[in-house]
Amino acid sequence: MQKRKICMVGDFAVGKTSLTQRFVNNSFSEKYLTTIGVKIDNVVVDDTKLIIWDVAGRDSLSPINTNYLSGAAGIVMVADGTRPETVESLHTLAEMVVEKIGQVPCVVAINKYDHNAFKLDDEQQNKLTSQGWDIFKTSALTGDKVPELFQVLNNAIGAVTSVGEEA
Amino acid sequence: MSQLDELRQIIVGDNTEQLSALKDRIESVEERTRDVSEVLAPAIDATMRRDDSLIQALSDPVSESLKRAIRIEPDAYAEILYPAIAPSIRTAIAQAISSMLATINKTIESATTVGGLKARFKSIRTGVPYAELLLRQSLLFRVEHLYLIDRDSGLLIGECGAEDQGLMDSDAVSAMFSAIQSFVQDSFSGREDDRLTDFKVGEHTIWIAHGPNAMLACVILGDPPAALKIRLYETLESIRIRYAEQLQHYDGDASQFARLDDYMQPMLQSQLREEELPEEKPKLQMGPLLVYLVIAAALGYLIFQALDRESKLSTLHRYFDEAPGVVVTKANWQDGKIVVEGLLDPDATLPFKTLSAHGIEQEKLQLNLTPFRSLETEMELRRFEKELDPPEGTILSVENGVLNLSGRASVIWLLRHDERLRQLQADRRLGLSNLFATDGSLNSYLATTLNIPAGPGRSEALAKLSQTPWVEISFTEILRDLLRSNRR
Repeated sequence: MQKRKICMVGDFAVGKTSLTQRFVNNSFSEKYLTTIGVKIDNVVVDDTKLIIWDVAGRDSLSPINTNYLSGAAGIVMVADGTRPETVESLHTLAEMVVEKIGQVPCVVAINKYDHNAFKLDDEQQNKLTSQGWDIFKTSALTGDKVPELFQVLNNAIGAVTSVGEEA
Repeated sequence: MSQLDELRQIIVGDNTEQLSALKDRIESVEERTRDVSEVLAPAIDATMRRDDSLIQALSDPVSESLKRAIRIEPDAYAEILYPAIAPSIRTAIAQAISSMLATINKTIESATTVGGLKARFKSIRTGVPYAELLLRQSLLFRVEHLYLIDRDSGLLIGECGAEDQGLMDSDAVSAMFSAIQSFVQDSFSGREDDRLTDFKVGEHTIWIAHGPNAMLACVILGDPPAALKIRLYETLESIRIRYAEQLQHYDGDASQFARLDDYMQPMLQSQLREEELPEEKPKLQMGPLLVYLVIAAALGYLIFQALDRESKLSTLHRYFDEAPGVVVTKANWQDGKIVVEGLLDPDATLPFKTLSAHGIEQEKLQLNLTPFRSLETEMELRRFEKELDPPEGTILSVENGVLNLSGRASVIWLLRHDERLRQLQADRRLGLSNLFATDGSLNSYLATTLNIPAGPGRSEALAKLSQTPWVEISFTEILRDLLRSNRR
């Protein structure tokens, strides 16, 4: 079976872990996030096994450990729809990713869509789509749009790989 | 109101009632208990924040009261503790059983193989108990699992290992190896080329061999020898050489690594004994084998010969002992001949034919036999037949081990052997109580030899003689009787 490494990145407490919780096979407990800074899960999408590295969130004290990004085939960037600053910081995160592993397929999840305080204005959205990223308004609570998120990312990776092979 | 009360009124004024209420409150146990209960919790909090004096003060009484409580109600405490300690006990038991099974399996296997025999021999030679040797050989270490992991992504390329490990999802484990690798690197060194190469978890040792594109993690139970690490690197190296292209461009498609197992499996098979690692199977060498065969054949021939000679001696003993009139006192082999010593009755027949049938030829026998007269019944019978030549009408027979001559013989024959017959009877070698003379020969003997004329006297004598056994007949008496009757 084809296997791919996927990394989940985003600021602290945007809901990365909760987002995947209902969708994946949990192999390790969440304590790994606070101890070694990463938690590994996996999920099968279209005969492809996605090994999901849930990298501990970035905050003012500690940046994300970019070493965990090595060899990733795709990236899921997660922001909190109720905290506009986390959406803004996606751009700096993306720069870090590109610096570490180069251009790879990437999708964006704006989380907590079920929350009353969710707010994503047009300017922010346009800025994100202009990067060529697919935007998903997700809800960890209802699981809404989570399968689609991984499906689209997996397809994008598949497209890139086949183009690479043709070239 | 006394003057004292007045003075008190002047000094403390209206507080008297408050004072008495306070006094009542202090003196009442109930009141005091309520007061303390109100401040107890905040007081404990405050003390705990200040220092650990309360903990020190309470540690002994709490420990004592706990001990007493557990002693009184052990079941209740066991029930409370059960969820906490049961899982660790289960794990410990499972581990113990698993390692015991591995030992038993190995021991059984060793005991029934050439290796087991070798160990036994070694035990005799060195004086080290067999069980100890076996144990040392058996559970030195066991390679349980191998993971070939892509360095960059931490994706699992291939794995092999015992089915019963019950480990977590191998892809997740593989990614975690890689994550731990990065974590340790960042935390302790920060240098790209400093790598985590080994760590121990309980009874397991994990060794990781690093190559440019992949790493090979090896999960080992027990204490592996240093030689195994070299083998681990050799294995990774041979994989790297074989799959150089695929490793460099690994994208998660493990199907490019066909027959990877051929490289990894030997690591699992070379598990158990350090001594076995460098040892190669000895080749079969024809020279020594031939010598062994010749020696074995010679030995076999000698043993066969010895057995054959022994068996011939016992055959000879058996048939000589069975034959009447032969007594063998000694028989042994000398210069390819059987020398027999003993006694031989001249009338006896030696069983040469039977012996020849058993492969003992007459010319192979040297008989040093002293002649003797055997009193065995059969020999006696044979001898009497030859000597006396019993006439028709008589029979030589054996009755209860005694020889008897019975029937009727002519007076001429009886007179010829009379002396000899009486001597044999006296020696108790021959019974004659049923031997009579024939009527005809008696009649002619009375008529011609004794000259007794025909008449009632002769008839009477004849009738009497006919009924009397030969050895009891007295002719003198007959003649006397006749003379007496003639006189009348």
